[in-house]
Amino acid sequence: MPTQILQIAFIQKYLCKMFTLQTWIVQALFIFLTTESIGELIVPCAHIHPESSVVQLGSNFTAVCVLKEKCMDDYHVTANDIFWKTGRVPVPYEQYSVINRTASSVTFPNITLINALLTCNIRMFGQINRSVYGIRIISGLPPEKPKNLSCIVNEGKKMMCQWDPGRETYLETNYTLKSEWATEKFDDCKAKRDTPTSCTVDYPPVYFVNIEVWVEAENALGKVTSDHINFDPVDKVKLNPPHILSVNSSKELSSILKLTWTDSRFKSFITLKYDIQYRTKDASTWNQVPPEDTSSTRSSFTVQDLKPFTEYVFRIRCMKEDGKGYWSDWSEEASGITYEDRPSKAPNFWYKIEPSHAHGTRSIQLKWKTLPPFEANGKILDYEVTLTKWKSHSQNYTVKDTKLTVNLTNDRYVATLTARNLVGKSDASVLTIPAWDFQATHPITDLKAFPKDNVLWVEWTAPNESVNRYILEWCVLSDKSPCIPDWQQEDGTVHRTYLRAPSRGPTVRTKKVGKNEAVLEWDHLPIDVQNGFIRNYTIFYRTVIGNEIAVNVDSSHTEYTLSSLTSDTLYMVRMAAYTDEGGKDGPEFTFTTPKFAQGEIEAIVVPVCLAFLLTTLLGVLFCFNKRDLIKKHIWPNVPDPSKSHIAQWSPHTPPRHFNSKDQMYPDGNFTDVSVVEIEANDKKPFPEDLKSLDLFKKEKVNTEGHSSGIGGSSCMSSSRPSISSSDENESAQNTSSTVQYSTVVHSGYRHQVPSVQVFSRSESTQPLLDSEERPEDLQLVDNVDGSDGILPRQRYFKQNCSQHETSPDISHFERSQQVSSVNEEDFVRLKQQQISDHISQPYGSGKMKMFQEVPAVDAFGPGIEGQVERFETVGMEDAVDEGMPKSYLPQTVRRGGYMPQ
Amino acid sequence: MGAQRMQRTLLSLVLRLLLLCTVATGKCSGKYHELLLQLQRQADLMQDPSTLLDPYIHLQGLHSPVLQEHCRERPGDFPSEDALWRLSRQDFLQTLNTTLGLILRMLSALQQDLPEAAHQQAEMNVRGFGNNIHCMAQLLRGSSDPKAAEPTQPGPGPTPLPPTPPSSTFQRKLRNCGFLRGYHRFMRTAGQVLRGWGERQGRSRRHSPCRALKRGARRTQPFPEIRRLAPRGQPPGSLWGAPAR
Repeated sequence: MPTQILQIAFIQKYLCKMFTLQTWIVQALFIFLTTESIGELIVPCAHIHPESSVVQLGSNFTAVCVLKEKCMDDYHVTANDIFWKTGRVPVPYEQYSVINRTASSVTFPNITLINALLTCNIRMFGQINRSVYGIRIISGLPPEKPKNLSCIVNEGKKMMCQWDPGRETYLETNYTLKSEWATEKFDDCKAKRDTPTSCTVDYPPVYFVNIEVWVEAENALGKVTSDHINFDPVDKVKLNPPHILSVNSSKELSSILKLTWTDSRFKSFITLKYDIQYRTKDASTWNQVPPEDTSSTRSSFTVQDLKPFTEYVFRIRCMKEDGKGYWSDWSEEASGITYEDRPSKAPNFWYKIEPSHAHGTRSIQLKWKTLPPFEANGKILDYEVTLTKWKSHSQNYTVKDTKLTVNLTNDRYVATLTARNLVGKSDASVLTIPAWDFQATHPITDLKAFPKDNVLWVEWTAPNESVNRYILEWCVLSDKSPCIPDWQQEDGTVHRTYLRAPSRGPTVRTKKVGKNEAVLEWDHLPIDVQNGFIRNYTIFYRTVIGNEIAVNVDSSHTEYTLSSLTSDTLYMVRMAAYTDEGGKDGPEFTFTTPKFAQGEIEAIVVPVCLAFLLTTLLGVLFCFNKRDLIKKHIWPNVPDPSKSHIAQWSPHTPPRHFNSKDQMYPDGNFTDVSVVEIEANDKKPFPEDLKSLDLFKKEKVNTEGHSSGIGGSSCMSSSRPSISSSDENESAQNTSSTVQYSTVVHSGYRHQVPSVQVFSRSESTQPLLDSEERPEDLQLVDNVDGSDGILPRQRYFKQNCSQHETSPDISHFERSQQVSSVNEEDFVRLKQQQISDHISQPYGSGKMKMFQEVPAVDAFGPGIEGQVERFETVGMEDAVDEGMPKSYLPQTVRRGGYMPQ
Repeated sequence: MGAQRMQRTLLSLVLRLLLLCTVATGKCSGKYHELLLQLQRQADLMQDPSTLLDPYIHLQGLHSPVLQEHCRERPGDFPSEDALWRLSRQDFLQTLNTTLGLILRMLSALQQDLPEAAHQQAEMNVRGFGNNIHCMAQLLRGSSDPKAAEPTQPGPGPTPLPPTPPSSTFQRKLRNCGFLRGYHRFMRTAGQVLRGWGERQGRSRRHSPCRALKRGARRTQPFPEIRRLAPRGQPPGSLWGAPAR
């Protein structure tokens, strides 16, 4: 059988193949025939010679159109009917030439730049024009011989050669770089379209081996080769720039800085030379170390003749010592500060006598000018002032400020002043303070001032005696500002000078303040206040508690960035402008650095917010997923009392209500057991009633945990009726906490007058709740009432949380059904037996504690639902018959709980 | 497939090296001193372990000092220093030529075990060195005997083969490591010998550089020693002796 199937499959497959083959053949035939017919259709009527034409610019170009005989016959045309077009523009007839009956030519003399379609057209009968053939004419130039071929080998990379391709060819021109050793050829390097003038070979450079390189340029009009160049790639190398390792100063020499670097490993094989440049930090022009000093391979160099305590910036590059090849790129800049030197000049020194009230003394204010940086040669730590009275001890003062006020006697004093930095002291500046009664006998005369060349000149006539030095004092006379005296010192030989110090310093302000830096800016001083050439500015800045830091800035700058500032700090900054003769401070400016950099707060806040949102979202998701658990522990399901079965427990309660149990306890588990305590008026036993109440007996079901909340309400307040036949302890415990919630007005049954008031009771502090209702139990009660007609009855609703021992896995609903479905006779027989066992148990406080609960499963067999319905129907009928007021259900249900009636 | 490709590459490399003269197309430098200097510097460049041995050790994880102890040149892989010094110029060039062929074969076998860039550069360096040897041989021949300007063929002297790969991968690594160490040592020695040429030439030049060159060239007929060596059956040990330590 399988063989037959295989054979059939094979035959089918074969037939399919055959069919496919046939289809192919038919298709191919069709295509062939179609192609033939189409081919006949598209056979051109003419041909143009040459077929394709790239024409050299400036040359003459002639094309010939030859008509085919068949066409001529078909269309009745000859060569005379031919006309030419370039694009859509007809070519003038003057350029035509009819060669014979079938051929016509066109000539383009001195052809210009063109890239167009040249078509041969015929004019047929009826002035109908038709294109019969066309060619594309492109004009251009042959490539020129590439010139200036040069190659470069960037260290660590492959060799790149470039050339000058010469004139524009207007044609697609290919440039090929060819290279070879004496012993082998390398692969061609074809220049890319976008970079036709250079090409990078794809093999690594081999140093110390001569290579021959040339370029071939080729296009449709020709091919040309450049001159060959032969070189050692090491002679075309561009080394990697050196890397500056350090710039070190020397304590011994404040004028030198030693530069150390690392550079290419080529220095092991070839000699290098270097180019070192340096400048002061604020300068823009570079100084050059003499090349002859750096013409050999080395890794360090000491630059001399530098200014003390000045920051210099260095850069370096290298190349082969023989000059073949290329300079490397400049290294990254590196800076260093020369060491301090002692101040090179004594500060200018002067004094002012201030009025004093004390007799025999006078107050002298000594004042001096700060040294400009190029004279201070370091940070001035303090000034030392010495006052010496004639033939007396000297008084020494160390001052950080630029003035000192002392009380002196009226005697003559000699004051000396030195500025001190880390390295040493300046020369002393000496000043004589004459005695109080000294009279200048040879004052200068003819003092006059005049403006000239935008500065204020002062001229005087010198006294006849020799003069050590002059002091000029002045102030700006202005209605807006008081006269603040300024002064300057002049040599004793001059008798004319101009006020050189700037009359005011630059006003600095902040352009941008960051967390750790501040950009300062200022305006150039106007010419009329410069009083000379501004050599440099000095920026002084300090915090409230910190030392003042001075930074020198080139006079060409108007902006400077203070770095390494502390965040959230108040800074005071001022600027001084210096000429050769001195400086002048500008006003002080304060600014506070922010605590956070720009965007830093956002960088902190945004992630925190996102994290918070994420946490919240996760929390919500978690709560949503665990809502049942959370609800159980935090806010258990508090049933609406208004929907309590007690509230609806009336003869009018529709039977369907009783079937809602499985909705309330879908899992078939109960939280507790309620006991119905029926309060009786009298305490006598009711054997008959008890018998009838056997039908109330029901199983005690298992509880599955307790709902938390108000007093474990769900456990204790469940009003599911149960036969109150639990053991003594349990009963006592339960009854001790029983709270009466409602009174059930027992109106009797079937026209019987109730003799007792019936209360609904619960041990819980929670009101009787809907979810705790057990409609089926009530149904049972109802049914029992209806069936037995035993009245009056004493009823108690009692809760019992104890789990059932025997049937933990059977739902209450099932059990109830089982209970309810048992026939009356069985009930009666069983109850009589059970009650006889438990009837002797004591009753408490007028309540009957009875009907020990019996597991329904144990007690009864499988129930019959139909009987349940029958019981319910009976109850309903009773309710309808008797009317509501007769009901034993609570009559008033208030929101929040049942109130005793 | 890969093995076939490797064999093909190997074959082409060896052929290319062996037929240096026959395929010579470019022009060699005609300046003896320039060429000699190039050879010396090439040797200096190639003796640098950072070009080949170090990358190999790094890639193969042979850093530990213990392993380094075992990464030693095996006697017989390369000609000893003494042997190289004893050779005439032509023989020396011929020996270099032959050894470069061996190195190229070994490099081909080590292609997968070396960083691509290092391998490519090393191979190109070896080929370039061979190119300069060819030019030097041509220069020496041309300076003495026009008849000698024939294609240089490898002498029939001892031609060492690359070491047979040991069975163990680890052993093979150590073996290759030792070979590369020997390669750098050999290039260092070759550089020294070439520097010796310069010194001798310098001394000769005091008299007459051209004459000296010609004399030297006469003394060093194109690989006559190699030709003589073979019939004599000089044992390989004399040339491929123990490496200098």
